[in-house]
Amino acid sequence: MKWETLVQYKWGMMTPEFIILGVATILSLIDLFMPRGKDRRLLAWFAFVGVAIAFVSVIGLLPAKTASILYDTFRLDAFAKAFKLLLLAGAALVLLLALDYKPKEGIKYRGEFYYLFLTALLGAMMMTSSGDLITLFVGLELLSVSSYILAGLRKTYRLSNESAMKYVINGGISTAMTLFGMSYVFGLTGSTNLKKIAVQLSTLTDGGQQYLLALAFLILFVGLSFKLASVPFHMWAPDVYQGAPTPVTAFLSVVSKTAGFVIVLRLFITIFAAAPSHGKDPSSMLLSMQDYIAFLAGATMIIGNTIALKQRNVKRLFAYSSIAHAGYVLVGFAAMSWVMVDSIWFYFVAYLLMNLGAFAILQVISDQSGSEDISHFAGLYKRNPFMAMTMGIFLLSLAGIPGTAGFIGKVNIFLGAFMTEPAHYVLAAIMIATTVVSYVYYFGLFTQIFFRATAEHEPIKLPLGVTIVVIVCAVGTILFGIIPSLAYNFLDQFQHFGDFLQ
Amino acid sequence: MSGEYLAFLGLALVAIAGGVMMLNLTKVVHMVVALVFTFVSIAGLYVLLSAEFVAAVQVLIYSGAITIIMLFGIMLTRHQDEEETTTGGFWRKALTALAVFAFGIAVYIGIYRLDFGEQATHLHEKNTEQIGVALYSKYIIPFEITSVILLVALVGAIVLAKKEDEEAQK
Repeated sequence: MKWETLVQYKWGMMTPEFIILGVATILSLIDLFMPRGKDRRLLAWFAFVGVAIAFVSVIGLLPAKTASILYDTFRLDAFAKAFKLLLLAGAALVLLLALDYKPKEGIKYRGEFYYLFLTALLGAMMMTSSGDLITLFVGLELLSVSSYILAGLRKTYRLSNESAMKYVINGGISTAMTLFGMSYVFGLTGSTNLKKIAVQLSTLTDGGQQYLLALAFLILFVGLSFKLASVPFHMWAPDVYQGAPTPVTAFLSVVSKTAGFVIVLRLFITIFAAAPSHGKDPSSMLLSMQDYIAFLAGATMIIGNTIALKQRNVKRLFAYSSIAHAGYVLVGFAAMSWVMVDSIWFYFVAYLLMNLGAFAILQVISDQSGSEDISHFAGLYKRNPFMAMTMGIFLLSLAGIPGTAGFIGKVNIFLGAFMTEPAHYVLAAIMIATTVVSYVYYFGLFTQIFFRATAEHEPIKLPLGVTIVVIVCAVGTILFGIIPSLAYNFLDQFQHFGDFLQ
Repeated sequence: MSGEYLAFLGLALVAIAGGVMMLNLTKVVHMVVALVFTFVSIAGLYVLLSAEFVAAVQVLIYSGAITIIMLFGIMLTRHQDEEETTTGGFWRKALTALAVFAFGIAVYIGIYRLDFGEQATHLHEKNTEQIGVALYSKYIIPFEITSVILLVALVGAIVLAKKEDEEAQK
């Protein structure tokens, strides 16, 4: 390929990625040449500004037409833009949390701590905007490898080591499965380009090959469920979430999970929706697999919510709660209504706000007390009413109480389950039942904060970065809870992500 | 029964036997040797599929570099370790075996009498050159991201494996 042809591509649409890559590179160089004793928290602000600029550049790209570079290895469509905004917003808030993260033994490698978030973010962004199996996989790996290291950055803390070890082993297994599934898809079609695969598969009539494709579907789904932390690959979540530094836990539960759903949606909708399958009537491979996804979604909700009931460690509690939330989102996917992508996007907006807010407060409390036991939340209302009030908002939103963004997100997914023919009554019933179960542990935490007497009386101070995160998240949770049309008007310009396959 | 089929049978057998032996052996060095058998026979399978370049890379990287680094790792750490046998209950083992067999049967049903139509005949033509051309033209973006992955892995390896005690002594 000549230089002239390479220059012809519109590289401008990769601006957000280039910004993140550039900032990460510059940060690593600054970190290298910075004197040893210097305070490296300045670097976090630098990273934050970089992410903010990338966010603005994505907004600038919103009116851009759907286009692709180099045979779809990079493509910018409505789906990519919408989810990139989410990932960037999540990563920016996580960086603010990382700025004020002070474990009791201190973080030795603060510079690495900040720029590894950026490389992970870069991987996640590549996953949102590619139409090629190879780029999708490479993006997935970049996200995974960065997160493995981030999980183990508290080197002298035993649980952090355990967390990184478990994460890397489970991640390796899941990667192998994902690749195995992808190899079947590649073998059946002879292409890594998603559109070409879809065209090739739409003419697939041989029964044996359809069977293999169904097998590939299941293997791929199991492999990717690792990133979603949903059944059958959910067991790593509690241990990893507990041991990893709190900002990393927040990153895994929000940004990494969003990226996981992004790749699931893109792969399965593009590849399998067009493939015919014999037997069931609207004969699409994706629709014929609906029952399996619905089963896994149900199992995820039940397992996440019931095991969360027994947890005393708040980080583990949030790990199980995040498994449960992955289940709710999977309900949206399993229902496959025409509002699927919209409702999932909105749910992740709500989830990002409420979960990051809750992790911000959890981080301050566990940094001060040195443990994440639920008893440290007792009497928080007396020690710092502002923290208690905002934590209350986040808990209400996580539980899905009306007036919060979490409620609107859940309602949308719930209604989506009834929009299809036949409607998914069982799935919707499980969702309601497990939501009620989740009230028990969310309100357990709630009573600790507001009604229990406290053993410690010293007031808690909120550092600057955490304060910003808490305020942004609380305001957003309420705002999207009362005026959800704000988000929906914004989504309208994407027209239900119709350009997915063009 | 053609020669290719025989070669495939032999290589596949060695590859699987190497994997199973690696799981069952107790000494770490023996495990590495068993792993080499798997790696080399997989390289042989690549040759059967007319992917000579990938076969060469497999031998160089996996059987060569990775095995040597593993051996170094073993030599520099406690290499007398014998692996403790895991204590899973009977039911757990039985369930695992059942799952493995169920998956094996499911795949076997799929590939038994699978018909892909005619075989590709020009796979062997300049395949190294083809890989190079594809890598540096069509797949530049994933190629560049791979370099970021390597950078991240390098940074991570240094940060996580660096000895902290030296710093304290200074």
